Amino acid sequence: MQYGFAIDQRTCIGCHACTVACKTEHEVPLGQFRTWVKYVDSGSFPDTTRSFGVMRCNHCTDAPCVKICPTQALFKRDDGIVDFDSERCIGCKSCMQACPYDAIYIDADTHTAAKCNMCAHRVDEGLEPACVVVCPTHSIWVGDLEDPESGIAKLVATNETAVRTPEQNTGPNVFYLGADRAVLDPLAAPVDDTYLWAKPDAQRLAIAGDVDRDPTTGARTTLNTAHPRPWEWKVVTYLWTKGIGAGALAVALLAHLMGIGLGPVGDYVAPALGLFGAATTGALLVWDLKRPERFLYIFLKSNWTSWLVLGAYVLTVFSGGAILWMLAAALDLGAAMTALAWLGLPVSALMAAYTAFLFGQAEGRDLWQSPLLFWHLLVQAVMVGSGALAIAGLVADLSDAAWEMLAVAFVLSTAGHLLVLAVEYGGRHASRQAAVAAHIVTGGRYARLFWLAAVLPAALAAALGALTWAGLPVGLLAVAGLVVQPALIAYESVFVRAGQDPPLS
Amino acid sequence: MTTNGEPVNLPGERRHEGLRNFPPVEDWDHHVEYDAKAHPRKVPHTYSLIPTICFNCESSCGLLAYVDHEDLSIKKFEGNPAHPGSRGRNCAKGPATINQVHDPERILHPLKRVGERGSGRFERVSWEDALADIATRIRAAIVDNRRDEVMYHVGRPGEDGFAERVLQAWGIDGHNSHTNVCSSGGRSGYTHWMGYDRPSPDYAHAKTILLLSSHLETGHYFNPHAQRIMEAKQNGAKVVVLDLRLSNTASHADLWISPWPGSEGAIFLAVASYLLRTRAIDRDFLKRWVNWEVYLRRLHPDAEPDFEVFLERLTEDYAHYTFEFAAQEAHVPVAQIEELARLVVQAGTSLATHTWRSAAAGNLGGWQIARSLFFLNVLTGSVGTVGGTHPNGWEKFIAHFPDMPEPNDSWSEMLWPIEYPLTTNEMSILLPHLLKDGRGKLEVYFSRVYNPLWVNPDGFTWIDVLKDAAKIGLHVALTPTWSESATFADYVLPMGHASERHDTMSFETHASKWLAFRQPVTRVAMEQRGIAYRDSRDTNPGEVWEENEFWFALSWQIDPDGSLGIRRYFESKDRPGEMMTQDEYYETLFAHSVPGLPEAAEQQGLTPLAYMRKYGVFEIAKDVYRLDERPLTEAELEGAVADENGVLRKPVTLDSAPPLVGEAGAVGIVHADGSKTAGWLSPSRKLELYSTTLADWGWPEHATPGYVESHVSARRIDRANDEFVLMPNFRLPTLIHTRSGNAKYLNEISNTHPLWFNHGDADALGVATGDLVRVTTEIGHFVARAWATEAIRPGVVGLSHHMGRWMQEGHPGSRWVMGKVDLDRSDDGIWRLRYVDGIKPFPSEDPDSERIYWDDPGVHQNLTFPVQPDPVSGMHCWHQKVRIEKAHEGDRYGDVEVDVNKSRAVYRRWLSMTRPGPGPDGQRRPEFMMRHVTPKRSAYRMASASRPGEGQ
Repeated sequence: MQYGFAIDQRTCIGCHACTVACKTEHEVPLGQFRTWVKYVDSGSFPDTTRSFGVMRCNHCTDAPCVKICPTQALFKRDDGIVDFDSERCIGCKSCMQACPYDAIYIDADTHTAAKCNMCAHRVDEGLEPACVVVCPTHSIWVGDLEDPESGIAKLVATNETAVRTPEQNTGPNVFYLGADRAVLDPLAAPVDDTYLWAKPDAQRLAIAGDVDRDPTTGARTTLNTAHPRPWEWKVVTYLWTKGIGAGALAVALLAHLMGIGLGPVGDYVAPALGLFGAATTGALLVWDLKRPERFLYIFLKSNWTSWLVLGAYVLTVFSGGAILWMLAAALDLGAAMTALAWLGLPVSALMAAYTAFLFGQAEGRDLWQSPLLFWHLLVQAVMVGSGALAIAGLVADLSDAAWEMLAVAFVLSTAGHLLVLAVEYGGRHASRQAAVAAHIVTGGRYARLFWLAAVLPAALAAALGALTWAGLPVGLLAVAGLVVQPALIAYESVFVRAGQDPPLS
Repeated sequence: MTTNGEPVNLPGERRHEGLRNFPPVEDWDHHVEYDAKAHPRKVPHTYSLIPTICFNCESSCGLLAYVDHEDLSIKKFEGNPAHPGSRGRNCAKGPATINQVHDPERILHPLKRVGERGSGRFERVSWEDALADIATRIRAAIVDNRRDEVMYHVGRPGEDGFAERVLQAWGIDGHNSHTNVCSSGGRSGYTHWMGYDRPSPDYAHAKTILLLSSHLETGHYFNPHAQRIMEAKQNGAKVVVLDLRLSNTASHADLWISPWPGSEGAIFLAVASYLLRTRAIDRDFLKRWVNWEVYLRRLHPDAEPDFEVFLERLTEDYAHYTFEFAAQEAHVPVAQIEELARLVVQAGTSLATHTWRSAAAGNLGGWQIARSLFFLNVLTGSVGTVGGTHPNGWEKFIAHFPDMPEPNDSWSEMLWPIEYPLTTNEMSILLPHLLKDGRGKLEVYFSRVYNPLWVNPDGFTWIDVLKDAAKIGLHVALTPTWSESATFADYVLPMGHASERHDTMSFETHASKWLAFRQPVTRVAMEQRGIAYRDSRDTNPGEVWEENEFWFALSWQIDPDGSLGIRRYFESKDRPGEMMTQDEYYETLFAHSVPGLPEAAEQQGLTPLAYMRKYGVFEIAKDVYRLDERPLTEAELEGAVADENGVLRKPVTLDSAPPLVGEAGAVGIVHADGSKTAGWLSPSRKLELYSTTLADWGWPEHATPGYVESHVSARRIDRANDEFVLMPNFRLPTLIHTRSGNAKYLNEISNTHPLWFNHGDADALGVATGDLVRVTTEIGHFVARAWATEAIRPGVVGLSHHMGRWMQEGHPGSRWVMGKVDLDRSDDGIWRLRYVDGIKPFPSEDPDSERIYWDDPGVHQNLTFPVQPDPVSGMHCWHQKVRIEKAHEGDRYGDVEVDVNKSRAVYRRWLSMTRPGPGPDGQRRPEFMMRHVTPKRSAYRMASASRPGEGQ
């Protein structure tokens, strides 16, 4: 069984009855919407047209929000409805990243995720959803799409239909009849300064300049709702803290296995950085939760398909490993250190790069879906980790071999970082959304930050590191190690924001 | 057929996919629903589902209130599947009623002014003290025979017949409506065809639907109408929309014509001319139902009185309305008008046409646009047919209480001034000017769910008058929520929302006739569950009183001992000496005045009142078609004699009162073939192609459908001098004038007020979206923010009419929608309004008030409009000729400046365009034209003037 909606835009009059009936049914706070009507105006007078699109959760067959939700607060019912339980939700907002349809918001009253659940509380009692009941033109159909005898299945079977962003392969179960492509495609109709009778939010206005307008129709969105970026500076910072911790420890472990002694830098500074990284990462993650007091639900109500859960375990194991490493070093247990190093390297790699899998589950953010992201996070971690160790090395008495090892690691990883950037932003993009996001980074409103604060310092640092590698004073490597830290934060801030900027509705 | 005790067939009930749209009626008094917010945890609540009707626009769509058994709170409003018009569905404003009920800004207690009028300071007062004060003044006016000094000025009434009966019992001429800022232009056009003043298209069965209004998404009845328009469209009907801007409705049109404002009539006349030329007309219908003999007699006295001759002459008379002429007037391609003509012909007798306000309300002579539009129906015989256009009166039912007071014989010159004998409705826009003229004064003025200084043109003149105690002795604002006008009142008395009052209503939504019942739902739930109460003040929030009980108590207080003969109309029949309860009133009304209801109720084992409490609506007739051909009953024919024109009349005296519409005593018409049918409510009982009324009351040149050049015709707008036509009265799907400002879920959807500009016009002015512009009218200017768009025609700018709400610092108001202003008047009459603060979040018991994210209160443009009453219809001609320039230095968004001396001058200029009465027989007004509270025939006659001051 698969409940779904069919929305007949041929008869929709754009009256917003569905929007308001939904809001009163669920007492949705101001500024938040489980369903809403988008308007697009096209053409020029006297051939101007207006199209409507009723936007909402697609109750996807393969719902990415369900997969990413760490606590099973979002779940797919046997009848196909993608439902949610606000009592399990920790407010991590990952579902908002996973949803390619702008369907989920954090309820301002409960601080938990919410969206259209097809009025499951009504459906359970044999009643239609509120929006279906209220619609003056009966343009919203509900029913079992898998039952060929159902009205909705027949409607979908006998009419030309479209779904939103089919390329995301989520199996959307909201089918549109007679919808204008410009309404369904979030990139087809940028905002033109203002809406008909409301103001566009700043993000939509900003992105309008980065999206190409249809030269023939000039399609422009004339009514829509605001969907601010769910993740901001805390996630940006966590990418850095995680990287520095994982990278520092990984370099120490590697040095140990290569038989290169890093002394106290390897024995204590590296695991301390690892612990610091893991702890601040954990703290930032909990801080970013809208229900931080529920953070333990990640472990108590785990959804094992969610990389948020797996990541939390990685963080935990990594932290334990860092402590053991420090202990083993303090007790001078060489064999244990070797064993720990072998075990710790993959854990550190995961610590650095599991975010690639999490971002990979963020189906709504095409920029983040790159197959290179795992490797990119690895080299970033080594870059900032080895850079940090190099700074520490200035106050410790490191051997030449140790310096060389740090320099090599630093230079290669920084070069790797730059190389990935070149491939990521210079090459073709997997989707239009990713291309728009990449354009914002390299040629749009983040270009200054990207080129001047992220790329240029990293290139400079790589050059400085190479000088140390070539035999010049180690101080240069330490300076380079310092420089890459803000450079990486700058890049992550660009990467995290740009990924979330393209509109999904 | 229903059997005893079984639920009736619900027209809006739907059941498919294993789901139903409403709980079964059997469960309505104990429906269990699980808490949406606790879901998936199952937290049950038990509700009573009590039917009521929406109070936001006049459609009176059905609602079901969910009243929680636990605490008697109202959880939400859904549609009522029993309602034949709305069929269980609603627009956004229906469910948003819950916002209005729970609005933290609403008025909960009776308030009395402190300090001078307009001070904005109020204190709580008891209902008893307020009643005593108001009643004393009204009693004095009645006793002194100052029967034009008490005025009830109503916005959208949201009820039928109740207030009228009260006013009739008081014996005053005091019913004032808002209609001549609304629909009186359109009404006038229809009235002179058929007496009935409004159209009722049978959209569902139409082949071509021709709309002047945005009936798919705004305005009256859009929910019931959109349902049926879309059904027809799905069945292949073509939709044509004439609108200056791209409305949502226009976006669904097969043909959207965006003509120069005021030229619509030329387009319709060109189509009419085409129909005549090609004889694509319904000859039989025309011959039987059009007063063609009169047409020939008056316009072609030498012609032979023969139908074929008539057709020839008519064709010749309209020959000059060519497609090319219309295209030139309208600034649209000829092809569009040809296409319209083709679609009209294609429709046959299934042509549904509709205008409500739009062009008929925008232009000088707008009433002729409506008359020209209906001309197409008449020519094609699509009047009263399946898929055609009906008169509203066939499909609207007003339930009159059996015990009606005697009609009064007074006439208020402040409502019906002699200069406007043909005005369709009260000259409400002129009230402040008539008071300033010294034509009279008001002892007590009720503004009832009405915001006159905001919604009318020339609001500053209203303020001048509202503040003047010599002109208005006492101003009582009856309103659920704060308005600009209420802050200038002496008493502000809280009235109920859709779920807090009793009313009956009926509207012509389709080819059916129904009566709906508004109820104080909490009280009904209490009664169901045996919880005692005194009156609606015990069951509504705060001390909110339902209006009906207020009027009863006030009437009682006016005549406590019954000596004025007023009290008896409000007295219980079963308990002499005590006031009638609302239950008693509606028991009697439903048992005696609603045909078929007692029988239907009995089939269910219910009393008529219990039936209405349970279902909230009753369908009196369905499939209503061609009632003009209805044979007269024995009772109607008894004593009726045909006059020289074949009109069957019963004898009347000067003490008779005409009905709501139609002449006293007239019952029908005898046709040439001897058949006797009901006909129309015009004086001839026919469709008056030639209106003898218009001819005999001074407008012979407009006696037939014709083209009147608008005050904003293209010739009168100097585009080279940056002159534009401002369309200030288009509506949005989610807002209702100033009535919806208390609904947060509506405000959050629509909350900016851009001035729509065609891109080309904006470019030519050097104006971009977001720029401030100064818009200058004849009496002042306002400052608005531009929006360059392709959604409006060149030469026209548009500003939606719901926004521009304000409150003065320290005054009460509705902070969801009102910005704070400084208001200033110079001694020589220059008013200035300037925003000092936009809309901002505010703390309240509703956490959402802190989440307000909009800030634009809009521009109160109406202040800058002079009164522009059409000399025939009385309609305020909304379109404004304006000059637009970039904002001056120092101009701020929302600024308004007006010179009220200029507004007086404009008033006098438009007054000079009138052709004052009296008309034939010394009458002040043709008797057949609709009036809400019709006085005796004697009052219509100047000769009967018995008091000084009348007939000046």
